Amino acid sequence: MESLLQHLDRFSELLAVSRTAHVRTWDPVTVRRALQWARYLRHIHRRFGRHGPIRTALERRLHNQWRQEGVFGRGPVPGLASFQALGHCDVLLSLRLLENQALGDAARHHLVQQLFPGPGVPDADEETLQESLARLARCGSAVHMLRFNGYRKNLNLQEDSLMKTQADLLLERLQEVGKAEAEGPARFLSSLWERLPQNNFLKVIAVALLQPPLSPRPQEESEPSIHKTPGEGSQALVHWLLGNSEVFAAFCRALPAGLLTLVTSRHPALSPVYLGLLTDWGQRLHYDLQKGIWVGTESQDVPWEELHNRFQSLCQAPPPLKDKVLTALETCKAQDGDFEVPGLSIWTDLLLALRSGAFRKRQVLGLSPGLSSV
Amino acid sequence: MAQESVDLSCDYQFWMQKLSVWDQASTLGTQQDTCVHLARFQEFLRKMYEALKEMDSNTIFERFPTIDQLLAKACWNPFILAYDESQKILIWCLCCLINKEPQNSRQSKLNSWVQGVLSHILSALRFDKEVALFTQGLGYAPIDYYPGLLKNMVLSLASELRENHLNGFNTQRRMTPERLASLSRVCVPLITLPDVDPLVEALLVCHGHEPQEILQPEFFEAVNEAILLKKISLPMSAVVCLWLRHLPSLEKAMLHLFEKLISSERNCLRRIECFIKDSSLPQAACHPAIFRVVDEMFRCALLETDGAPEIIATIQVFMQCFLEALEKENKQLRFALKTYFPYTSPSLAMVLLQDPQDVPRGCWLQTLKHISELLREAVEDQTHGSRGGPLESWFLFIHFGGWAEMVAEQLLRSAAEPPAALLWLLAFYYSPHDGRQQRAQTMVQVKAVLGHLLAMSRSSSLSARDLQTAAGQDTETDPRAPAQQLIRHLLLNFVLWAPGGHTIARDVITLVSLSGVQHPSTHFCCR
Repeated sequence: MESLLQHLDRFSELLAVSRTAHVRTWDPVTVRRALQWARYLRHIHRRFGRHGPIRTALERRLHNQWRQEGVFGRGPVPGLASFQALGHCDVLLSLRLLENQALGDAARHHLVQQLFPGPGVPDADEETLQESLARLARCGSAVHMLRFNGYRKNLNLQEDSLMKTQADLLLERLQEVGKAEAEGPARFLSSLWERLPQNNFLKVIAVALLQPPLSPRPQEESEPSIHKTPGEGSQALVHWLLGNSEVFAAFCRALPAGLLTLVTSRHPALSPVYLGLLTDWGQRLHYDLQKGIWVGTESQDVPWEELHNRFQSLCQAPPPLKDKVLTALETCKAQDGDFEVPGLSIWTDLLLALRSGAFRKRQVLGLSPGLSSV
Repeated sequence: MAQESVDLSCDYQFWMQKLSVWDQASTLGTQQDTCVHLARFQEFLRKMYEALKEMDSNTIFERFPTIDQLLAKACWNPFILAYDESQKILIWCLCCLINKEPQNSRQSKLNSWVQGVLSHILSALRFDKEVALFTQGLGYAPIDYYPGLLKNMVLSLASELRENHLNGFNTQRRMTPERLASLSRVCVPLITLPDVDPLVEALLVCHGHEPQEILQPEFFEAVNEAILLKKISLPMSAVVCLWLRHLPSLEKAMLHLFEKLISSERNCLRRIECFIKDSSLPQAACHPAIFRVVDEMFRCALLETDGAPEIIATIQVFMQCFLEALEKENKQLRFALKTYFPYTSPSLAMVLLQDPQDVPRGCWLQTLKHISELLREAVEDQTHGSRGGPLESWFLFIHFGGWAEMVAEQLLRSAAEPPAALLWLLAFYYSPHDGRQQRAQTMVQVKAVLGHLLAMSRSSSLSARDLQTAAGQDTETDPRAPAQQLIRHLLLNFVLWAPGGHTIARDVITLVSLSGVQHPSTHFCCR
């Protein structure tokens, strides 16, 4: 077991180095050995990937590595990034080496010979490295062609395939990081927030929070899959959002009303903070007598329409959330003086707008204009 | 060898030009043209590889100075990279360009360049900058998530297609015909990639709302080819949709079956049954439109071969498999059996379509007489413009081998005078074109043989040779003549049913086979 773990350590280092200029010093023997180690570890993963003790030992070793390198705060892992990666570590190594122009002539020639030996007898048990690489190329072309010739962005973000894939990856990574270190996910998410394009990141978070919980199923080898306890990733996300008010404010600002309503319905812990934000935004608006509308003082203030939009969407949510929202609005209205006349309290006006909107909706749907619950 | 290399040079020029025109295959025209040429281009790549692997890098460049451009252009065309094994062969060709021991910086640079191109092929064409940044930021490489991404995209497109199919009234959410056509084109190189199966299935099954066919014919052809070569496995409903939407595919499937039957040397009935079941045609034929086409092709084959017994045997096996498949079909969706034979008279269809095994022994004679009457009526009554005359009736009759077998058995087992109706039936089965006189003659001949056989069955010892003489078989008459075939059939049946017949069975079969003519019944005896 110890030798296996050492192998893992050394391979991880090797993988990290394979991206750097250091490969200049590699000779054909080094290349061959590296590929052999990769093949060996891949074989181990295939044979023992589902096997309790060996898998646990390997995972723990990887997590140790990550902790030591302090990767959670800094950036992507230089070496082996996940346990899943062992399943195709030979492909990973091969691709990194192929991308590295610092490779010497002899090493390069040997690498290419090893990777693409040419037509021959296919291995009955396992897919050869050559087959795996060819399949990756084919898969890549497939994705490219579908993307440009058939794919259309789904307006419901949570159903969009690109978004779903990113969300799956985020959840998987969070779960793994969580296993490595209790505080890992929070630090990891913060570092992502600083490094990545934020708009996309927020959308991915929302979609991740809406992914359906899957029933436990056996490990898949090559694809990122949601593991047996899918709730962990979501929990980490919620926890982090609640702990970072600046991020949450951006989250609520950037995403469309409908999406936020879905997220808040699904994760009730977020609703008080969301409502709190909406309340803050509302209080920043004042009534402009000349124009007859509610306006903000600064350019970044949330305009009336958007505020109304969000409350309207929330009022269409199923009961627990809807009631909370209405109660909050009524409370605010009462605090302001409980006016019925428009123009004095934004909360009065909002409630009036919501009621009439609901009334009109009932008319359009042909429902009787009875006592609305608004 | 020299001729081959000249061919290669010509091909080279041709493909170089094509690749330049196609570029990245981003327009409808270039995509269509690429799809049509994918298989041939792959063959060319294979030939190139065979040539290149024998040479070293310098020789290659002397022979094909622009080889680097050709290969690079191919790498930029995603359709080529996506097709079958083209990406592998391209990679092998590129590897041949590498200098084992670069002598100068130019050669070194070339090596570097090749490495770059290889990396490009495998770097899975990044498209979305944001997605790429995100995944990299998380620490994932394309190999980690591209399979998952492909799966998500395929499932999402498939469900969009299904919604499009069901949601007739919501025009906003409809898929435009251009997008559908585009998707079908894009699938052509990907047909044999299993991850794309759900999308292929959805494209076949969900036919949207346009009155004319939108999907590209190249798509249908590629799917059909993959089905025939067993490179894809689709549910039966998708295969049926394919054959209903694209007639040439169905015809090709039938031709493929015929080819297999012809090229296989000795076809016993079991093997014929295997081939037929393998082709999925019996199940597909549960849909009347498909059955009609298949039946029509069988009829053509029969006409072309002048009623060859092999074709008759195939038709009979097909009908058996078809009726089996029909039985298994969902009872709610089943069509009445008459729908499959729209031009036959209802009474004839009804009686022929029943299962011979359902008829109780006691009723055999009656049923067979009835069939004989109806057929005789249809055959001899040409004045009322019955479609096709005797040939049509005969074609219908031979679909069901069970009745002819029943006639033979009835004749041989009954000690009574053989009824004229049954004799007529048997004579008609083997020789539909005979005039009245000829047929009457045959009937007399058969009656005589039956008499002999009956007498022999009472005797204690039997020999094969006696049987042959009794049957009036000799080397002078043409063994292919229908009457001879009929008599052979009776002989073989006799051997089965007569007491003591089993002992001489083998000898009889040998004698019959020695005449050199393959007979469906010999196959039947193989069982």
